[in-house]
Amino acid sequence: MFTRQFELIARARVILLGIICCVLLPVVGNAQVIFSDGFEDVNDKSAARFLDQASYGGRLQDIALVRQLGYAGWLDQQFTAAVSLQKPYLDWVTGGVYQQQRQEAWFIHSAQLADPSNPLLTHDDQLRQRVAFALSEIMVTSDKNAALLFQPYALADYYDTLARGAFGNFRTLLGQVTLHPAMGKFLSMLGNRKSDVALNIRPDENYAREILQLFSIGLDQLNLDGTPVIVNNARVPSYGQNQVRGFAQVFTGWNFSSCSVATFSDCEPGNPYETPWFSPMLPFEAFHDNTSNKQLLVYPGVALPGGVLTAGGNATQEINAALDNVFNHPNVGPFLAQQLIQRLVTSNPSPSYVQRVATVFNNNGLGVRGDLKAVIRTLLLDPEARTVPPASVNTYGKLREPLLKMVKLWRIAPGRSVNGRVFRYSHIRDQFGQVPLSAPSVFNFFKPDFAQPGEIRTAGLVSPEFQIATDTQLVTAPNELGWRIFLFYIGSRYSVVWENGAPVPEETLMDYSALKTLSANPAALVDHLNLVMLSGQMTPFMRTILINRLNGPLPDAIPGQPAGAPPDQALFRVQQALYLIVNSPEFNIQK
Amino acid sequence: MNFDRRKFLRRSIQTALGGVALSSAFGNLKAIAAAANAGGGVFPDYKALVCVFLHGGNDSFNTIVPYDAAHYATYSATRPALAINQAAVAALSLNAQAAQGGLPGGVPSDGGSYGLHPSMPEMRGLFNTQRAAIIANVGPLLGPITQAQFQAGTHAAPPQLFSHDDQANFWQTSRADDATANGWGGRIADLLYAGNPNQQLPMTLSLSGQSLFQRGNVIDQYVMSPYGVETIDYLGAYQNELGTQSFNALNADGVQGHMFERAYASATRRSIATYEMLRTVLTAPPTWTTPFPDNSLGAQLRQVANLINVRGAGGLNMRRQIFFVSLGGFDTHDTQLVTQAGILATVSQAMQAFYQATVQMGISSEVTAFTASDFGRTLSTNGDGTDHGWGGHHFVVGGAVRGGRFYGQMPSLLQTGNPNDAGYGQIIPTTGVDPYSATLASWFGVAPGIDGIGTIFPNLGLYPSGNLGFMA
Repeated sequence: MFTRQFELIARARVILLGIICCVLLPVVGNAQVIFSDGFEDVNDKSAARFLDQASYGGRLQDIALVRQLGYAGWLDQQFTAAVSLQKPYLDWVTGGVYQQQRQEAWFIHSAQLADPSNPLLTHDDQLRQRVAFALSEIMVTSDKNAALLFQPYALADYYDTLARGAFGNFRTLLGQVTLHPAMGKFLSMLGNRKSDVALNIRPDENYAREILQLFSIGLDQLNLDGTPVIVNNARVPSYGQNQVRGFAQVFTGWNFSSCSVATFSDCEPGNPYETPWFSPMLPFEAFHDNTSNKQLLVYPGVALPGGVLTAGGNATQEINAALDNVFNHPNVGPFLAQQLIQRLVTSNPSPSYVQRVATVFNNNGLGVRGDLKAVIRTLLLDPEARTVPPASVNTYGKLREPLLKMVKLWRIAPGRSVNGRVFRYSHIRDQFGQVPLSAPSVFNFFKPDFAQPGEIRTAGLVSPEFQIATDTQLVTAPNELGWRIFLFYIGSRYSVVWENGAPVPEETLMDYSALKTLSANPAALVDHLNLVMLSGQMTPFMRTILINRLNGPLPDAIPGQPAGAPPDQALFRVQQALYLIVNSPEFNIQK
Repeated sequence: MNFDRRKFLRRSIQTALGGVALSSAFGNLKAIAAAANAGGGVFPDYKALVCVFLHGGNDSFNTIVPYDAAHYATYSATRPALAINQAAVAALSLNAQAAQGGLPGGVPSDGGSYGLHPSMPEMRGLFNTQRAAIIANVGPLLGPITQAQFQAGTHAAPPQLFSHDDQANFWQTSRADDATANGWGGRIADLLYAGNPNQQLPMTLSLSGQSLFQRGNVIDQYVMSPYGVETIDYLGAYQNELGTQSFNALNADGVQGHMFERAYASATRRSIATYEMLRTVLTAPPTWTTPFPDNSLGAQLRQVANLINVRGAGGLNMRRQIFFVSLGGFDTHDTQLVTQAGILATVSQAMQAFYQATVQMGISSEVTAFTASDFGRTLSTNGDGTDHGWGGHHFVVGGAVRGGRFYGQMPSLLQTGNPNDAGYGQIIPTTGVDPYSATLASWFGVAPGIDGIGTIFPNLGLYPSGNLGFMA
């Protein structure tokens, strides 16, 4: 351990010298965070736990890498890993390109399945992809909206925009999101035009409202620690209708890059693969409101006098001024910190944890505001993320999202198909209640403040992911996961995956070979799965139940086995262990 | 294991149809907690609403067709390649009742004689025995709107007109002004759930996936398969006794140390208890003999009849229920004459079988089924089909319906100079979805006033009347 600690200290010094050599005091704080990596022994369990927060789940090789590099070292490596993009996958697909193909790319990147579009790509940018998924649940676009139902290229490129921007500056990302045609279409900023009294047209307020409420500052003024500002026993609104109207006036005059002033009202590209669907919207001054003074946000130190953007600027100047006005609102740091922590680490962070992350959002130590890389690093290396056991041991963590359980399974029992494609059929929306970029509305699949009725709500805590853990989904998700575990494995003769004497080429099947080897000793299999699925947090109670089950009697036959074959005990044990764990309360709460 | 290919394909088909929304889903624990505090009484009687959603936008102008010489001439001139044969329509003539003492409803407002599509003899029987009413030219609106107002853009109209999802959503939410609204069925359940003795089973049940119509804030719709309750396959699977025991042991009450684990286990146990209750109760044999057509809509409505059959105190113990069923295939841009004939026959047969079942259960006046669809289709044709329109005609069926009558204004069928034409053959609705839905909700038991109908349908005040009078 001495050697490792020395290495970490040395690395911290290299970072200090190499990257932030000229900065004084704030660096000390940074160095302490990095240094703290050394005092906690990075063992298999703590590495697996870290990877559950920072990736789609640790495989043995990932756990080993974290142990080798340390948390901070692993993060540094992830910050430079090549970005995985969905749109190139869609470009590669021949034949129909629909939502399902976007979904294929998402699974290939998140589960690190072999990529048929480019076998050289290993998609090692797990942290980036995990953060992009979190951002996709904050800055929401969705093809549940009819306007985007058949626009997989636009949505893939939107997701790619989030992935590219995940470690950049939030101001840059806010601009890219705002001008993306998928967002433009989703929240009807695209084609939004200045008032026309004769036609009884006024600017659309849709995007103006949501960028404030959901993407940046929220409804109420926040303290740095994310708690609401209270004045006279009441929360204080962070904006009102005047501000919504002002922003709506700013967001006028933008349309597809292929449009012209003459075609402004009807210039949507006819095909989803045409460039304007994934090129930033362009301004058309004839439709931009350049005569109104726009009331924007007001806060201490606001750059615009009184928060008013004086009339006269062109569309680009005004949108930049308005996004600066949003970006510099003191709410942005705590608002984003709270939600990113919820998506990655825990539903109920302490105010001081939020404050530490928000502080870094406000200033990364180099005087830069909005540095997402620094935010992510701080968020994941914070003592409240790393300390085991956490202070609030019986309420810490979050419910796993149903979709991510499937990804986790494919990581620990590697999924692959003969031709590399993923899923012939796509019914995961109904079964899991989730598809990336397919939420029912801009309010995402679940809201950050949803509190499960009962003990959680009574305790004043929130549990966002419980909002989709409905009566129905608590049946369909276990069935879908069971469906995959019991029938979609390499060697299965089940009629959906095996036709005409061969595996169906595009069905993703799980490879159980390594797990089957372990299963000769049920305790060894359970202990292995405990590490890669529960970060070693399984109770002895659960372990005993599982081992007892694996030692239980074999059924006469196992689904998917060739007719008349004797039951394969190893297969039986692997399937039973995976099913019982993935549907257990202990696994379902990421802690 | 109970896996079967049919079930798998059914799942896939549901997804392929794609129209169904995700649930917002708050979980029913909230309902139980709220009911404990509500203290209100339960409904003394039983009523059920059944939404029959026709996905894709039904071409109602070929569903309900004039056959008198003058109107048929107009119709056939507008739809030369798509007109239904005059004699065939006349053979299914609708015997409309005259208006009754100042009440709404009567013969078609344009004075024409109308019949049904030749594949709908059963629906004709329901209409002519006054068990079905036709509500003319309904569609999402933000208050009445004239052609001049619409074309000048001087009056608010729903956004994203002629778009499937948006308009289907507005039909299901009756909130064309709010794209994030819950469904009006779900909103009713949020308001009235305490009126059911059984607080475990939601008031809202869907036989066709998660529906926006049933989405509420408090009450989470229960989704069932038409072929039965979806249960956790693993539990009770063949020779899986120890597996079942293990699953139950892990989810047992009181064994989890972590608050969120307890919440997850509790929600799982509750979900299982709900489907077990339904499954147990549904073993009761049907008390009707009517055969249902062997197709998807027939199976869905048969399951609704099954559920209604066990509504009583010894069964589900429900007093108010809202059901959602659906049929796809109505987006007839091409080969409409062939396609629509088949699916209209399905609608006609299934809705008649369902009505007959309620008669045999002695509850026909307590159950009302109504159609809804994305939109009507264009009056103009594109050759062998029609495109996305706006207003369309709808059926309401049941013993409490003031049937055998047309309600609202029949639109002109002129190709040119049509005063109802939005511009390209889409017919501007003359009856809003809001009063159509509110009429059904009022019958169902939503009280008048700002805390009742007014809170469910906040835009109802934009219309001259909030009740169309088609329910007795």
